Amino acid sequence: MSQRKPVLPGKRSIFWKLVAALALFCLLLIGLYAQLNTLIINATSRLSPKVKTVLTHYAEQAEVAWERDGSAGADAFLQRLREQEQVWAVMVDEHQHSLSSEPLSNEELTRLNFIRALDWSVGRPGGSPTVYIPFSRHEARLVMELPLRLNPRQYLQGWQGLLQFLPLLLSFVLGIVLYRVLIAPLTLLQRQANRLSEGNLAARVGEPLTRRRDELGSLANAFDRMAGRLESMVVFQRQLLRDMSHELRTPLSRLKVVGEQGDIQLLRQRLEHEVAVMERLISNTLELVWLDTEQPSLPLEAVDITRLWDTLRGDASFESGWPLVRMPCDLPAGCTVLGNLNGLAQAMENVLRNAIRHSPATGVVRLTGKAEGDGWVFCIEDQGPGVADEELERIFMPFTRLNAARPGGEGFGLGLAIARSMLRLQGGDLWGENGQPGLKIKFRLQNVYFVN
Amino acid sequence: MSANAAYANAARILVIEDDALLAAHIREYLGARGFVVELLSDGDSGLALALAQPFDLLLMDIMLPGRSGLEVLTRLRSERKVPVILMSALGAEQDRIAGFTQGADDYLPKPFAMAELEVRVLAVLRRVAYERNPQSLGGDTGLDPQLVFDEKRQDVRLAELWAGLTPTEYRLLELLLRHVEEVMSKAFLYQQVLHRPFLRHDRVLDMHISHIRRKLQLIGYETGRVETVWGKGYVFTRLALLP
Repeated sequence: MSQRKPVLPGKRSIFWKLVAALALFCLLLIGLYAQLNTLIINATSRLSPKVKTVLTHYAEQAEVAWERDGSAGADAFLQRLREQEQVWAVMVDEHQHSLSSEPLSNEELTRLNFIRALDWSVGRPGGSPTVYIPFSRHEARLVMELPLRLNPRQYLQGWQGLLQFLPLLLSFVLGIVLYRVLIAPLTLLQRQANRLSEGNLAARVGEPLTRRRDELGSLANAFDRMAGRLESMVVFQRQLLRDMSHELRTPLSRLKVVGEQGDIQLLRQRLEHEVAVMERLISNTLELVWLDTEQPSLPLEAVDITRLWDTLRGDASFESGWPLVRMPCDLPAGCTVLGNLNGLAQAMENVLRNAIRHSPATGVVRLTGKAEGDGWVFCIEDQGPGVADEELERIFMPFTRLNAARPGGEGFGLGLAIARSMLRLQGGDLWGENGQPGLKIKFRLQNVYFVN
Repeated sequence: MSANAAYANAARILVIEDDALLAAHIREYLGARGFVVELLSDGDSGLALALAQPFDLLLMDIMLPGRSGLEVLTRLRSERKVPVILMSALGAEQDRIAGFTQGADDYLPKPFAMAELEVRVLAVLRRVAYERNPQSLGGDTGLDPQLVFDEKRQDVRLAELWAGLTPTEYRLLELLLRHVEEVMSKAFLYQQVLHRPFLRHDRVLDMHISHIRRKLQLIGYETGRVETVWGKGYVFTRLALLP
């Protein structure tokens, strides 16, 4: 087992869509996350008016207490405030001297260097900010740590926790998009496959899925091609079965008539003839079905067309009583092409028989050919009545007999159909053209390149 | 047919065929021509009998009750060299049949005429007789008054002109010349020269004959020619020599 080299998929591949979707997802996630986080932090960085009112009110109380009772009033107020809010609080004048009886410690003095006005941001999350509220009538202020219940950051962690659900939300959206892009077409395919398996041969995926340029589009196209081939095959076989039973009834009814007449000698002759007819019908039909449905690979070899024609016209001469000179070959000796000997022989034999059958009493059937491109185009030409231009394709359909005035004739209209299938299986082709007069059946085959 | 009678005489043939009417008809027909015919209708007993007794030829349907003809053939081939002709009503599609008949000596698609059956039987028996008793081949044995046969070169010459035959064409011409004026069936020529069954639509032999005719004509050979006996085979005929 040779492993396939990993190659980058084509530029229309779903691969790139997935890459783009994932990249977009990552960018969106990172971007949104950072953006929302900043937004939350900014939104919680200012004191609300309510909090400002509360704090201003404290400052008002402090100022009143200090005005009324001096440092003792300040002491009493600060103690109450500390008890009530469980925070550090001092009252200082413009020279940073405590207004209460307790002087400020060094640590407290340092702390006074990091205080914020009420309108300022509360600073980085995590710390407990210290705010000052100036007194309205004196150059002094109340400095206090912001109590937790008044801190706008108190719900920050909750908001940030909520932010952790952002990937989930985005994944959900991405999941829906991917599902609609990738899985919905598969559901459609499955539905059509089910219809097909239930016997609805007209089931197709159709547009818009087949117009897609990616793997799913080609899958849909492959499905439609498969369904189309299946349908045409079944239709072809049904038609064939109908035609064949019709063709079989003809010899059977003739035998029946002769049988009723009671002439044993005549019946015997008839029987032999009709059995041969039916046998040929069955083997030709099976052959055609085999060629059309199984498409066997015919091994190709170098075939000497001149010699093959010589062989074929010998047989035809015996069958039809035509002298060999009425089946001339205008090819250079040793004209050799690439083909399958037996398949080609059968095809040419069918064409030759057909030509002889439609020839006038002293007609000539001629094989000609000329090199064309990297092969040869041969032509088997008769002098019969020919075929109307619009019928030229129809003669290659099985059971086509254009001349209805030949009831029970030798052919069933299978010969040319077999011939065409045979040629196509060898990489060639076979078609009809009108001559002046007569019918020209042309076929193309490739050259053999000998290496000496 | 007198020459044929020599190796047909008392040849034992085992027929394995489940269609009683056809089987009886085969026995009657071949029996009347001097063959000893045993009749069986299924694969298992057929295989048993073929392994137990010596037969000169087996004539067997592919679709048999019990063991199929192909299975019988495979089993038989591992132990016996007896020649086998398969019969079947399967289509005559060439590739498929060729695949089926690996190991069979000939294949006869149904329906067939009894005369055709006899031709095939005689062809196989005759080839076997040839193999058992090979006639001295080659050399300038006076097969023909004009042509000189060169066994080593696998070619013939007329005076100094070589015909340029291929080995197959050489063997074919030699065989036909050994039996001048005797019609050689296509079935036998396929058996003897091409070593395979003759199937419908097979043109290989006809092409070889066509090449032989042309090559002999090109070197100016005119004391005899290969004639087609339509529906039967080929015969080498001497032409009256010019005075």
